[in-house]
Amino acid sequence: MEEQGCPRCKTTKYRNPSMKLLVNVCGHSLCESCVDLLFIKGSGGCPECGTALRRNNFRLQLFEDANVEKEVDIRKRVLRDFNKKEEDFQSLNEYNDYLEMIETVVFNLTNGVEEEQTKKMIDQYKKENREIIQKNKSKMSKDEAYLDSLIEQEKHDAEFRKKILLEKELEEKNKKKLNKEALIDELMFSDMPASMIMATHKAATTETKENEPVQKSATHFSQGMKVGFQNMMPVPLEEGEAYQHVSITIEMCGPSLPLEDTLQSAGYLKNVRSTSDSERGGGFESRMACHRALQDALSGLFYFPGTSCS
Amino acid sequence: MEEKTKRYEKIEFLGEGQFATVYKARDTHTDDIVAVKKIKVGTRAEAADGINRTALREIKLLQELSHRNIIGLLDVFGQRSNVSLVFDFMETDLEVIIKDNSIVLTPAHTKSYILQTLKGLEYLHTHWILHRDLKPNNLLINDKVVTRWYRCPELLFGARQYGTGIDMWAVGCILAELLLRTPFLPGDSDIDQLSRIFQALGTPRDEDWPGIKALPDFVQFKHFPGTPLREIFIAASDDLLEVLSKFLAMDPLKRCTSTECLKMDYFKLKPYPTPGPQLPRAGGNQNNNKNPDRTSLKRKLETDSGGLAKRLIF
Repeated sequence: MEEQGCPRCKTTKYRNPSMKLLVNVCGHSLCESCVDLLFIKGSGGCPECGTALRRNNFRLQLFEDANVEKEVDIRKRVLRDFNKKEEDFQSLNEYNDYLEMIETVVFNLTNGVEEEQTKKMIDQYKKENREIIQKNKSKMSKDEAYLDSLIEQEKHDAEFRKKILLEKELEEKNKKKLNKEALIDELMFSDMPASMIMATHKAATTETKENEPVQKSATHFSQGMKVGFQNMMPVPLEEGEAYQHVSITIEMCGPSLPLEDTLQSAGYLKNVRSTSDSERGGGFESRMACHRALQDALSGLFYFPGTSCS
Repeated sequence: MEEKTKRYEKIEFLGEGQFATVYKARDTHTDDIVAVKKIKVGTRAEAADGINRTALREIKLLQELSHRNIIGLLDVFGQRSNVSLVFDFMETDLEVIIKDNSIVLTPAHTKSYILQTLKGLEYLHTHWILHRDLKPNNLLINDKVVTRWYRCPELLFGARQYGTGIDMWAVGCILAELLLRTPFLPGDSDIDQLSRIFQALGTPRDEDWPGIKALPDFVQFKHFPGTPLREIFIAASDDLLEVLSKFLAMDPLKRCTSTECLKMDYFKLKPYPTPGPQLPRAGGNQNNNKNPDRTSLKRKLETDSGGLAKRLIF
């Protein structure tokens, strides 16, 4: 991706991460500080194309390509006048031709093709359709009406839910009160022991509680854990027994070996070449070779075919 | 001989490596499912040299080895110029388990895998055998690429004489991978591998590793301070980090041996290792114990012995 930068002061997003590129109707971008500097009086010319610009019209550049910004701007302006709806046309073909015309106008203005001619055409269109334009501006489109009705519906639903919740709460309160009264009455007039009455009563209340369906809150979101992790939980606990190290015994079938630690002290190592530097670096010691040679020499000395060693 | 080739009925093709092709087969004598590894003859020039020497090594060594965490060589037979090895059939390998993200690996699982690996390795090392190619996917077929990610720094520096430390390093990388569920040090060249190692664990100084400069392919690296293991493996317990730091010690002589490791606290303390049959299976269906007594205890070291074990040469 090419680095975004201000064409005037040449600063880039890389050098100044807080840099903001702004764009105006002509489609040329400038960074925020350049805009502050050049348009200190509130208006001025674009340093690229000389178009007279007003400072208030600068806005954040959303698209990397400033030309897209320009097109968005132009399209907005054009659509303010070309505001006919589908129902204003007799046939679909006519409507499509009209949409096609809008695209041509937008393209011509954005890319500077036959600009004068196009502008004339727009003026003419404005004159011819003044009434319809005015009418459509004040009239809400079908879509907007639909959206409004949706919002209205949602509001209504929310109020309804709230009401139900309130009612439920009230009911619960009353129930609790009644329960309490019943308990006190029973305690006063029954001849059963108090503890038993308390116990049965408690059981009864918990039962009614359990019977109630659990109300899902309106703002119930997925925890996002389910996808691909179905067998994630619970992890069954499988533990075996503690490990106890058992030394490996080597079947020598011969005299026992000197311990590895005593190779040095008992002088065995005097008879082998000492470890070289590169061997030491590789993790090899002549002690190992000595140990192995001894093992090789002594193992199997007591072996005779047909007899067992152990 | 003729009989033996008929004894094993091919069921399906399992995979192919540089030296061998592996098939799933049925032993018609016992009705057991086995894996048959057919050694490739190779090119004409290679064929003229006779059977691949690594295959001979593998046969010779496996015939003498017997350990529950090392794959059993059941039979060997030849057919014309081919040699085939018959092994216990293993359901899956550790790479499949690590990559299957429907499987949850608990600390107890991890401990169990590493414990089984170490037990097999201890047995190999006491018999003066180095594995030299430990990695999660060693499913009999291997050596497609010499696996760099599990290579220790001394081998990367070209050491010709080395010790059991090279296998311990690989176990450390596998343990790290079990924790991260992604390869710990995936270098894309030998130099990149070394720089990843040093970036993660710190560049060793001469006094940290005597003899490092004498290694044949030694290159001085930029000094990296390294990241504490605790910050890489944030969920790991202290005893686990202790073991890991012993596995991944830069100086091979400061790395623990398999026996020393097995004696460390990590393996004694809770959580206790998951018994083999309860370890997760591939395909997401955990605890599906169809034949619990067979495979799973050995599964882990299928990884281990599938690789061509090589004798430590002095």
